[in-house]
Amino acid sequence: MAASTATKKPAKSKERVKLSGMALHEQRWGRLFVASPFIGFCLFSAFPIVFAFVASLSNWTGTNSIFQNFIGLKNYTDLFTDMRFWKTMGTTVIYMIGIPVGMILGLLIAVAMNRKIPGVKILRTMYYVPVISSLVAVAILWAWVFNYDYGLFNTIIKAITGAKGPNWLGDEMWVKVAMIIFMVWKGLGTSIILYLSGLQNIPRDYYEAATIDGATGIQAFRHITIPLVSPVTFYLLITGIIGGFQVFVEVTVMVANGGTNYSAATVVYYLWDKAFKSQQMGYGSAMAFVLAIIIFIVTAINFYGQNKWVKTID
Amino acid sequence: MSKYLKRIACIVLAVLLVAGCLSGCGGKKNTLKVFLYMNDHEKEVYGAMIEKFKEAHKDEIDDIEFQITTQSEYNTTLTGMMTAKDLPDVFYVGPAAVKSYVDNGYVADLTPLLQEAGISTDDLPQNTLNFYRYDGTSIGSGELYALPKDASTFAYAYNKDVFDAAGVPYPDPNKPYTYDEFVAVCQQLTKDTDNDGEIDQWGCSFADLYMFQQYVYSNGAGFLDETNHTVTIDTPEFKEALQKYFDLTFKYGVTPTYEQDVALGPYQRWIAGQTGFYAAGTWDVASFMDPATFPYNWDLCYYPTLSTGVSYTWNGTVGFCISATSEKKDIALELINYLSTDPEGQKQLSGMDGSASVQVPNLQSLQDDFKAAVADGTVTYPSNVDVIFNYINGSDVAIGRMQESDYTPNSEWITLFWEGMTNYRAGNYASIDDFVNDMKPKMQESLDKAWATVENAG
Repeated sequence: MAASTATKKPAKSKERVKLSGMALHEQRWGRLFVASPFIGFCLFSAFPIVFAFVASLSNWTGTNSIFQNFIGLKNYTDLFTDMRFWKTMGTTVIYMIGIPVGMILGLLIAVAMNRKIPGVKILRTMYYVPVISSLVAVAILWAWVFNYDYGLFNTIIKAITGAKGPNWLGDEMWVKVAMIIFMVWKGLGTSIILYLSGLQNIPRDYYEAATIDGATGIQAFRHITIPLVSPVTFYLLITGIIGGFQVFVEVTVMVANGGTNYSAATVVYYLWDKAFKSQQMGYGSAMAFVLAIIIFIVTAINFYGQNKWVKTID
Repeated sequence: MSKYLKRIACIVLAVLLVAGCLSGCGGKKNTLKVFLYMNDHEKEVYGAMIEKFKEAHKDEIDDIEFQITTQSEYNTTLTGMMTAKDLPDVFYVGPAAVKSYVDNGYVADLTPLLQEAGISTDDLPQNTLNFYRYDGTSIGSGELYALPKDASTFAYAYNKDVFDAAGVPYPDPNKPYTYDEFVAVCQQLTKDTDNDGEIDQWGCSFADLYMFQQYVYSNGAGFLDETNHTVTIDTPEFKEALQKYFDLTFKYGVTPTYEQDVALGPYQRWIAGQTGFYAAGTWDVASFMDPATFPYNWDLCYYPTLSTGVSYTWNGTVGFCISATSEKKDIALELINYLSTDPEGQKQLSGMDGSASVQVPNLQSLQDDFKAAVADGTVTYPSNVDVIFNYINGSDVAIGRMQESDYTPNSEWITLFWEGMTNYRAGNYASIDDFVNDMKPKMQESLDKAWATVENAG
């Protein structure tokens, strides 16, 4: 112990000597380079966060003074009794049903594509096209697909059953189903690509060993594939939940004014509605903070629980 | 060598950086900044007018930075500018925002500037000007804070081809239908044109948030009391207007159903020639006169009357104002006076020079010339142009008025009502009384909150 201390001391003093020379010069340049993203973070992330928090404590409308309209925590207390906030939060959570649905479909399609079949690359590309397409453009397209009178779905339903299909975007329940279908379709390409890369990282030996031990295909899938793609599943779950709490464009484009009885509106849509249509910027900021806290807690719980089900090859 | 090179490179970069910043901060020291929202045709006309103004004032001003956005983006961007305390010299203010902008010191008082410059506003419609007067308490009197860009109205229109096919005489251009007459005409126009067993042409269709007020006002009711602080949707007159409005769908079946409206909106059905009547704002005229957009013959008419016997609609306006912090108020005033009152510009905007009409002329002295130009075909406009002027100026048969939401701090309270209307259409209320009893407290709570943000402000 004493010996190691004795050896460290001269090294430290030697380092100080170096810092006064070329290293110090490089350190200055290093700090300069680091300063750029740091200043960027302060200006474009830290300052807006602090500003929004201060605004959330006021009756700021966007045109009046924040400090002369300071109301403390009133926006936060109002929020907890605001039924519309909880309604939109509920709708947001319902939309997240699409996350496991998308993951299951993504994994199954990825397994099907993870083999040498003719045209598989074209299929992979086709599934990825929605991901790189403009969200607004495809939302407009799907609004027509769901159209009550002229939509593709209802035309098919009428052709098969002879009866008219549901009012997809006008009915309080069906609009949620429509949104989930759209979101699953839009996100499927990402799930497939990530699961494909996960599947291709699983050594073939594991499957060969399982086959020798007499495992069936389903058993191998359950006990090898699913556990070993669990890091991908975890990643998709985390990003899906964070993205799910922030759904906005789909609602704005596909239905008018949040849908019948505000049934399609998400919490971010309501936030935007309050802040920019009703000029209640302070209230909107409070909502943004509560949403950020909820996302943080849910993400933290997921990270805490990952040790119990996320497996790696190592 | 490398050390010197590094130093030189650093100095060059620093100089470039400073130069870049300076140019970004406005290298042209005398630039007037204008921020507005406009459609393409307005942008073309106003852009040309601004270029002309710049040329005429090149000794006083280096450049005019003419920034245009869409109406939906405008408020968000302007709020950002206000927060950053970087307002343009000239921008729009609507009647609803005058109080807030003045109270918070964003807009300049034009009254002394106009007096000093010797500019008269007598030829502008005084009822429109009054929306930009504020005495520190209420709108309508006091100092003037903007010059109107336009005075617009939301008139009614009918598709002549639909009337002809049904063999129904056109509406009288001088006398509005009574409600019963309107129902009878709509019933004649509502039909299954392709005999497939489903109605595919309707007498009328409604975009509630633009077309229900006409029924309320014509029945002597209103959404709010005179103070604009109390919701009054539970008066017998208001409930009767609601009942008659919804009867057109549920009792007489002369409008598309809720499901049909969701499938194809009322505006799209009008454009597709599926309805006899629809609304035509002054800003819609150019596109409705364009056969590529609306390939049908059409003309203007009045909304039907209810118990007052007078046809009502809502008017709109937006005004040019000058930033209170502008250092170029004199030249900014000259510019907004030119945009608001220049006869040549007004002729261009109203289509009197042969181009598409996006507004009726602001100047009262041009109104007769405009009507004459419509009559002789110089202006591509529907022939019943008096409908527009009667709504804007007010007459015995027709009156245009501002909506209550133009006088309240925000419009959330009425947005709740429109959402409720959709719910009623969707069958979520058993009766008009249920609807009114549910909506009134929600609207009142929202309105109280809106006023509290203004009245309790520091």
